[in-house]
Amino acid sequence: MPHDLEPSLNEKAFVGQALQEGLRLDGRGFEDYRPISLSLGEEYGVADVRLGNTRIFAKATAEVTVPYSDRPFDGIFNIVTELSPMASPAFEAGRPSETEVLLSRVLEKTLRRSGALDTESLCLSAGQKCWSVRVDVHVLSHDGNLVDASCLAVVAALRHFRKPETSIESGVLTVYTPAEREPVPLSWLHSPFCVTFSYFGEEAEMALLDGTLLEEQTRVGSCTISLNRHGEICQIAKLGGTPVEAVSLLKSTQVALQKAREFSTIVDKALAGDAKRRDKGGLIAELSAENER
Amino acid sequence: MPLDTSTYSLALLRVDGRRWNELRRCHAQVRTQAAADGSSFWEMGNTKVMCVLTGPSEPGPKRAGTVTAGGGTTGAGNETAAEVVVNIVVAGFSSVDRRRRGRTDKRTLELSATVARTLAAVLHTHLYPRSAITFSLHVLSHDGSLLAALLNAATLAAVDAGIPMTDYVVACSAGSTSSDAAADTTDGADPLLDLNLQEEQELPSLTVATLGATDRVAALVCESRVPVQRLEGMLAVAADGCKQVRAIVDRVVREAGLKMAKEANSGADAGNVSSMEIDV
Repeated sequence: MPHDLEPSLNEKAFVGQALQEGLRLDGRGFEDYRPISLSLGEEYGVADVRLGNTRIFAKATAEVTVPYSDRPFDGIFNIVTELSPMASPAFEAGRPSETEVLLSRVLEKTLRRSGALDTESLCLSAGQKCWSVRVDVHVLSHDGNLVDASCLAVVAALRHFRKPETSIESGVLTVYTPAEREPVPLSWLHSPFCVTFSYFGEEAEMALLDGTLLEEQTRVGSCTISLNRHGEICQIAKLGGTPVEAVSLLKSTQVALQKAREFSTIVDKALAGDAKRRDKGGLIAELSAENER
Repeated sequence: MPLDTSTYSLALLRVDGRRWNELRRCHAQVRTQAAADGSSFWEMGNTKVMCVLTGPSEPGPKRAGTVTAGGGTTGAGNETAAEVVVNIVVAGFSSVDRRRRGRTDKRTLELSATVARTLAAVLHTHLYPRSAITFSLHVLSHDGSLLAALLNAATLAAVDAGIPMTDYVVACSAGSTSSDAAADTTDGADPLLDLNLQEEQELPSLTVATLGATDRVAALVCESRVPVQRLEGMLAVAADGCKQVRAIVDRVVREAGLKMAKEANSGADAGNVSSMEIDV
């Protein structure tokens, strides 16, 4: 069974001592993120997120399928995460480890259960036809904090995604190609983002944002808070670990809200840049059908 | 059938007749399985959980559906501390609809990871190197606050098995009467304690596990949308509920200990040996 290389006692002691003195190994402050770069692909629905040395690739696809019998008015929305040995030797292909289960569950709670994507708008014919939206999350490089980077990649991919235009006449569904009609964006309600805190110290008194792989291996507990820009908590997952004071958890939500707003700005800027790039020569303004009188 | 909250504002009584800060009826038992090292039964309202603890023992082979926490390196047993292995089985008859959940269901695995990590941080596992402590939790009936019931049952089983721990890990759930963000300004959002399944599905809720009588949060799981400013109220109500649950857990443990001591005393009195002093 493959497993990660454990940090040595010297490494653990060094990290602990540095944190006691208020220092991190890469020179960041306790509440700083590594440089985040988000690039959107040539085709719709592709997002590439780099968070320091962590790299996540997300791709959104859609196909027409039959809805579930108990929810005939809703489309289907799935997030598939698979950690391969490309990301880290600790991961084994095909066999879901605990890391993968928890990552998948956090993303599902953050995006699906909070209703970020309006699945009712994916319904084409009640009980017969609906869109099935699927996001594949590929972890290309693992240097800690997979949850935050994955959530950012999935949100960007879904907001960037365009599904084909459709029409229904007399029960016949027609799906138009992008050359025939312009594809339409998804009905997106809000953008939740994950912010993960790592706790250190005997009493878990130090909270760090965006832990690297070494910091994640030496931490005593963690807590992931998902919020959107409007100040709504979508989920909190502190799944065990060393007990933390309740007051510091409440302070963490305020820090997380600030970081979620920064994430939202990053995604908005990337989407605006992509729209500007696709607007070759400024012709979209010329082609506009909605013009002032 | 959707939850009817229209009459709450009139008499401040919930659907089952409780007020906002009242727990459901709680019944707990320890030493329910003679063949196990530790066992417990926890019933909170209609949520019934049975826990069987085996160990500390030599670690066996890994099985699907179990989650291990504590020992860093998986394999031939950790050299410095015991591993905490948790296996949760949700019975097919535990809810209204019969549903079969496999051992590799991600929701169940996440519950197992939460229970395993919470207990690994509180039990004194360093006293049992190269060992495994195995919890088997069986959900017999599910009516809300499942994670809280699992944690409370596991704590009672660990006490019954005599595994030293820092303090009881007690868990409780709390919610809010409205999922509408506008309710904050109109003073329409009240916190609720110990949700049942209907309330859990329709209202914002969270589950908090605290370490004994302190306010230190061992686990915090919130799966619904809730405004940030309402979190403090829900957290305070849940922490207060954990204090009530701790009193219940402590009473059950003391009653079991008292009964055990009485049995030992009656055996000792026959031999004319001095009786034990019970510190209650």
